[in-house]
Amino acid sequence: MADHLYKEPILTLRDISMQFGGEVILRDISLDVLNVVRPGVSQGQVVGFYGRSGIGKSVLCRIIAGLLPPSTGTVLVADPQRPVCPGDVGFVQQRYPLFNHRTLLDNLLVAAGRKHSPADAKAKAEEFLTRFDLAPHRRKYPAMLSGGQRQRAAIAQQLLCSEHLIILDEPFSGLDIAMIDEVKKIILEVTTLDELNTVVIVSHDLATTTALSDTLWLLGPERDAAGQLLPGATISKKHQYNVADMGLAWQPGIQAKPAFVQLIEHLKDEIRKA
Amino acid sequence: MLKDLFVPNAKPRPSVFLTMVACQVLFLLLLWLFYPLQLFPTLGEVLASFKDLVTTQGLIQELWASLTTALGALAIATVLALLISYLTALPFFRPIAYAASKMRYLTLTGLTFFMALMLSSGHQVKLSVLVFGATVYLVTGMTSVILTTTQEEMDHARTLGMSEWRSFYEVVVLGKLDEMLEVVRQNFAIIWTMITLVETLYQSEGGIGLLLYKQNRYLHLAGVVAIQLVILGTGALQDYVFAFLRRMFFPYSELTVAK
Ligand SMILES: Nc1ncnc2c1ncn2[C@@H]1O[C@H](COP(=O)(O)OP(=O)(O)OP(=O)(O)O)[C@@H](O)[C@H]1O
Ligand SMILES: [Mg+2]
Repeated sequence: MADHLYKEPILTLRDISMQFGGEVILRDISLDVLNVVRPGVSQGQVVGFYGRSGIGKSVLCRIIAGLLPPSTGTVLVADPQRPVCPGDVGFVQQRYPLFNHRTLLDNLLVAAGRKHSPADAKAKAEEFLTRFDLAPHRRKYPAMLSGGQRQRAAIAQQLLCSEHLIILDEPFSGLDIAMIDEVKKIILEVTTLDELNTVVIVSHDLATTTALSDTLWLLGPERDAAGQLLPGATISKKHQYNVADMGLAWQPGIQAKPAFVQLIEHLKDEIRKA
Repeated sequence: MLKDLFVPNAKPRPSVFLTMVACQVLFLLLLWLFYPLQLFPTLGEVLASFKDLVTTQGLIQELWASLTTALGALAIATVLALLISYLTALPFFRPIAYAASKMRYLTLTGLTFFMALMLSSGHQVKLSVLVFGATVYLVTGMTSVILTTTQEEMDHARTLGMSEWRSFYEVVVLGKLDEMLEVVRQNFAIIWTMITLVETLYQSEGGIGLLLYKQNRYLHLAGVVAIQLVILGTGALQDYVFAFLRRMFFPYSELTVAK
């Protein structure tokens, strides 16, 4: 199928491993996210990132975001590729931190101010408030918001100031169906806005996330030739899925197709085995 | 209603609660009135002595003099302590904060002696002793507030593209200003304990400490109690003002507290 091809690298992980005080968490992770090009669309990249709880997904996210130096290896971003610095990659952390001393609107404004002039920042912040159903709460402090509202606010904050790369650590947990749809819509919008925009979604919701993705990573433990469990988790070649090449990416209503259902079942089995 | 007063974490109506407090105070006063302790002055004696202190010895003026000195010292100490604690962001300055906080253990008397050697006027000695004493306590409280900053908070600021300094300013300086005010409130009391002592050493400027000292010296127990009560009242008022300021400037600061 020639409906898409791959160009320059956007995100590269080379031999990443991570230990905390001798405990190996991640081992030998090498990944490439390439700019996928489809004729007629500015198609960004979406990576679904799975793995058992406690396996090291959030740790890898922090490494990719440049917040945690890995024990070995490098993360490269941008074009031409260079080592990542904090701020290069937007990262919505699992517990949705916001500035507790600022109102919701202020939280968005301080983020929008990074890329926009004050007037534009105001307009952008207002736009996100409306889109995420947060407009009536603009004057509230984060402590007064519901869990889902905080989460949307945190996502909006990162979207307002991120460059091309953004990581969402469990963006669907705790949201109702309408809001999941809204977040899905926004991810689609972000990734079709610019050729280079790339979203990594950490999630336990396989169906929702896979339907959005063109690439999947599955982080899990591995056995050596003798069948012994190796310390630390990795994303082996076998566990890097190219959904686009399978012909299962970028299609609305994909979730009903037998091939998609099969893929989900396969992923579930792989995760259970881990 | 009344039994609410003995249920854990209950929220009695404000009117009920205030009535209860009034009854407790009244009970204490009655106890004092009808069961005088042997040495302890009676309520009547204390009141008489209070009247005398106000009319003939200028209690109000002395209180005002002490209060302004205390506030001045607190202001200087707060600025100094904030500076020292914020500078802990730079490894170079960390030993200074550490040393400053350990100076809490220095005794006031020895300190006063040194200050007196270095400075000429009594007023300067008084002020610098107060500033020094308050600063070391404030630095201790403030650095411990700064140490509550979490990795998540700092990472959040960094992912928004803020530089290290900007992240520090946003999360530690702006984000914890309300807690710093609380540290200042808690440590204001230290200044009061010091001021009464320092005023007796440098008597030229008077102050409520000197007044207290004189009452002590002439064994005017009723006067001592009266002055102590005045200081207690001033302290309570101060606490109230600080709480008010905190609510006014940092409306977010008590949102997560259990009510
Ligand atoms: N700073 C640290 N020091 C020591 N161990 C750590 C540290 N941070 C994470 N770990 C360990 O690394 C492992 C992976 O943690 P991580 O938060 O990445 O899990 P996760 O895959 O995101 O799980 P979940 O799906 O539950 O969020 C855990 O066992 C955790 O205890
Ligand atoms: Mg996690």
